[in-house]
Amino acid sequence: MSNVMAELEDLHLKHDLLGSIEVGIAVVDRDFNIEIWNQFMESHSGMSPARVRGKSLFEMFPEIDAEWFRRKTDPVFKLKTPAFIIWEQRPHLFKFEAYRPITSATELMYQNITIFPLTSLSGEVNQICIVVYDVTDEAISKQRFEAANKQLEKISRIDGLTGLFNRRYWEEMCDAEFKRAMRTGRLATMMILDIDHFKKVNDTYGHPAGDKTIKMLAKIIAKAIRETDIAGRYGGEEFTIILPDTEVASAKVVAERIRKLAEHLPVQYEDQTIEFTVSIGLAEFHSSFGEYMAWIEKADQGLYEAKESGRNRVIVSQ
Amino acid sequence: MTTPILICDDSGFARKQMARSIPEQWDVNISYASNGQEALDAIQAEHIELMFLDLNMPVLDGYQTMLRIQQQQLPVKVIVVSGDVQPEARKRMMAMGALEFIRKPIDNIKLYEILSECGIYSGNASPSKPATITTPENAIDELDAYREMANVAMGQAGEKLAQLLDVFIELPIPNVNIIESTELHMAIAEIQQSDSISAISQGFISAGINGEALLLFNDSNFANMVRLLKYDQTNVSEQIELEALMDISNILIGACLHALSEQLHVRFGQNHPMILGRHCDLEGLLNNSVSRWNKVVAIEIAYSIENQDIHFDLMLLFPDKAMEIIFKKLVNLVES
Repeated sequence: MSNVMAELEDLHLKHDLLGSIEVGIAVVDRDFNIEIWNQFMESHSGMSPARVRGKSLFEMFPEIDAEWFRRKTDPVFKLKTPAFIIWEQRPHLFKFEAYRPITSATELMYQNITIFPLTSLSGEVNQICIVVYDVTDEAISKQRFEAANKQLEKISRIDGLTGLFNRRYWEEMCDAEFKRAMRTGRLATMMILDIDHFKKVNDTYGHPAGDKTIKMLAKIIAKAIRETDIAGRYGGEEFTIILPDTEVASAKVVAERIRKLAEHLPVQYEDQTIEFTVSIGLAEFHSSFGEYMAWIEKADQGLYEAKESGRNRVIVSQ
Repeated sequence: MTTPILICDDSGFARKQMARSIPEQWDVNISYASNGQEALDAIQAEHIELMFLDLNMPVLDGYQTMLRIQQQQLPVKVIVVSGDVQPEARKRMMAMGALEFIRKPIDNIKLYEILSECGIYSGNASPSKPATITTPENAIDELDAYREMANVAMGQAGEKLAQLLDVFIELPIPNVNIIESTELHMAIAEIQQSDSISAISQGFISAGINGEALLLFNDSNFANMVRLLKYDQTNVSEQIELEALMDISNILIGACLHALSEQLHVRFGQNHPMILGRHCDLEGLLNNSVSRWNKVVAIEIAYSIENQDIHFDLMLLFPDKAMEIIFKKLVNLVES
C-alpha cells in the first residue's frame, strides 16, 4: 500500500472514531468560532459540521451565556489549565433534548463539560476543546435521592400529631443550642409547659378530645413563637421551647401570650366546648448547668412551682 | 580557587537536588543549612561566596533571611531557588538584593546561564555526578521527597491562582503524613477547624499513579472569595458559591497536577469533580465515603491570600501503591 493510502486509512479511522464515540466534541478558536464538530454534536444539535464551521459558538447557540462562558475559558487560554463544569453549576451548556424521548424523566439533557487547552507547536493555546458528557441519568438519580432523603429527614424530625419537632430531634437541637450558648456566652431561655388537669380532659371527653386539645396547644405555640425559637413535643401533653438570644424577661412575654391564648381559645369537640389552661416554667441559660438536661430540669422546677401555686401561670425558675 | 557555597533549604531532598545541579567542573566547597537562622550563623562564622536560598522554611524563612542580610550588609551573593514562583515573590526578593530568582525544579542550563551572566562561574556547563559530591544525606527521606515535590506543585498552582485573582498567595510548608484510613477524619479536622465546610473532590490517574485531590473551603470565607473573583452578581447565593468553589478547584487542582506531571514525567487524566459536601460538618462530609484503602500519603497545603482573610486547604491523597511508584521516580531523577 502506498503512503498516501496508509494516511487516508489513518484519517478515515480517526474520523470514524471521532464520529462513533458517544461524547460531544467541539473545538473552538480564540474568538469562539467553531472548528471541529463531531457526530454526537451534529446529531443532538441537528446542525451539520458544514453549517457551524467558522461560525461563532454564541451566535449558533444563543442559550450559552457568553460572558459566563468566557470567564470559564479564560484560565484555559491564559493559564493552560483544564476547566470542569458540573451539572450542579448549570444543568447544561448546549440545550439538547434528553436521549430517551419517551421515558426520560426530563426534557433536556444534563451535561458535564470539560474544557481543555490545545497547545500549538509554538506552545501557545489558540484553540480549546469542549467535551460534552451526557449525565442525565446520573443527575436525575441524584436529585431523586436527595429529595427522598430530605423527605425522610423531615419525617424523622416531626411529631405526627402536632407537626412540631419530635422529642428525639428537639433534644438534638437543644444540645446544639446549649453548646452554642456555652461557646458564645450568648443568652438563651428554656420554656417548658403542659396542659393543666389533662387527665381530666381525657377522662371526661375521651382520648380523641385530648388529642384535639394537644393539637390546639401546638397551634397556639406555633403562632406565639418566633421563627428562631425551637419548639418540640417533649411527651404526652408536655412541650418544650428553646428561645435563642432571648433573656428571660422577653421569654416571659412569649410565655404569657401562650398562656392567655390557651385560656381564650377553647377546643370544640363534637357538641362540646373544652376549656383548658396551661402552666409554664422558664429558665435562663447559665454556664454552670454543665449539660442541657440540667437546663431542662431547671425550667421544669418553674413548671412544678406553677402547678403548686395554682396552675394557669408562668413561673421563672430562679 | 575553591568557591565556598551554601545551600539553604529545609528539605534534604531539595538540598541534594541543588547540589546535583551545580556544574561538575566548578571547584566548590558546599556546606548546608536547613533554615535561615542556620544560614546566617554559617555566613557570620566563615566566608561564603554564594548562597542558594529557599523561601518557605521553618524557623527563619527566605524573606526574613534576606532582610537580615540586607540590614547587616553581610557579604554574600544570594540566588533564590524557590517553589513559590509568583512574580510578587521574585519582586520582593530582588528588591532586597538577591542576584537572581530560579524556580524549582532547577533547570541546569538556566542555572549555568545565570552563573555565567552574574560572572560567578563560566567554565564547563555539565552538571555534577552524584559521586563527586558528598551530601550530608545518603539515604533520601521518603516523606521529605514528597514534601519537596508538593512544594513545587503548590508553588506553581499558587502562581496561577495569583494571576487569576491578582493577589499575593501566602504559601505554607506542605504537611506530608502517612495516615491510616481511620485517621483521615482527624487529619481533615485538624486542618479545617470551622463548623461548616464545603468540599470538592477530584480523582486523577496516570499509569500506576492514582490519587485524589480534595479542596476544603471554610464556608465563612465565601463572601470574601466571591468578591475577589469579581463576579457580576453582588449577593452571595448558593449558585455563586458553587461557581467560586469550582473556579478555585479548577485552577488549583489543574495546576498542581500539571506541576506533578512535569516532575514525574507522566500525564494525568482527571475525572469530573464531585461535590463532596456543602455547608456540612465533618461528619456529614465523610460519613458517605467508604474506605477501601489502608494507608495513604496525605499532602496538605494550606493556602491563604494576603490581607484578605481567605484560607482554603488542598489535600492530595495517594494510596500507598501509587506512592511507591512516585518515590522510585523521584529518587531516580535525583540519583541516576
